[in-house]
Amino acid sequence: MALRGFSNLAEATEAALIIAAQAKDQAAFGELVKRRQGWARALLRRMCNSHAEADDLAQEAFIKAWDRLRDLETPAAFPGWFRRIAVTTFLMAKRRQKAVFEVIDDASPIADETSTPEAAAGAKIDLEKALARLSDAERLCVTLNHGEGLSHAEIVEMTGLPLGTVKSHVLRGTEKLRRMLEAA
Amino acid sequence: MTDFDALLKRSFAEAPEPADDGFTVQVNRRVVQREAQAKLRQNVWAVGMAAAGAAIAYGLYALMQVFGQEILATAGLEVAQAYGALSSAPSVSGQAQSLVQSLGAGITQILLITAALAGGAVAYRATQD
Repeated sequence: MALRGFSNLAEATEAALIIAAQAKDQAAFGELVKRRQGWARALLRRMCNSHAEADDLAQEAFIKAWDRLRDLETPAAFPGWFRRIAVTTFLMAKRRQKAVFEVIDDASPIADETSTPEAAAGAKIDLEKALARLSDAERLCVTLNHGEGLSHAEIVEMTGLPLGTVKSHVLRGTEKLRRMLEAA
Repeated sequence: MTDFDALLKRSFAEAPEPADDGFTVQVNRRVVQREAQAKLRQNVWAVGMAAAGAAIAYGLYALMQVFGQEILATAGLEVAQAYGALSSAPSVSGQAQSLVQSLGAGITQILLITAALAGGAVAYRATQD
């Protein structure tokens, strides 16, 4: 079904695409996926530590979005709404894998990342590689905080982790990244 | 926010994932499959409901064939009994009418007696004066 009022889907605004997709216009949704896939896949790749798994989860998140698009109240809310779906999809996948998002309430000593063989060898560590060396929970919290600009409270609301745990993960993850990136 | 935090935010912002047409095609394919499955489920549901409706209608028809006459006869008998009970009930309006009539007759007699007594009393009083 062609998007009403647009001769070319590429010219349509995102809001128009979302409204058309809410009316089950598959072509409009396809264009929306095309525009948003880079952001969605990047978000999930940073959280997942595996490109293949991240792309699978991104696909799953888009399919969930298609099913629930009618629940979206305003097109402007799409990024936050989709981010929540992506994070929930990621957390469900981790639960299936029995991953443990440990609850921590103190700042236990952070391992000296500069002492790793890679760092010692002077290997170049970019952001993605540095993120890959964080725990699942640290990577999730750091990505949402620094990458998506969410506050600690918003991360708590989205992930269900306790506030103290989120703060600790962000702090420890950021500190680890600092050490790795500065050593690179 | 420290300098490192700002650097980190910039690093996140500067690491976009290149668009992958294959990814979009795969998602679109899954959406099409999903919609086809949903349509199939909807059709199966509609056919199932129609079959269930037909079965219920046929069942009711069969029941009516067996018990229909008996039910209608019983219902007719009930209606007739109710009508008979209503029509044979004592007439309240008739009783009320006869009561008023008898009261009317009595009042006439009472008034005549009262008038006679009053007249006698006046005549007696006049003879005394």
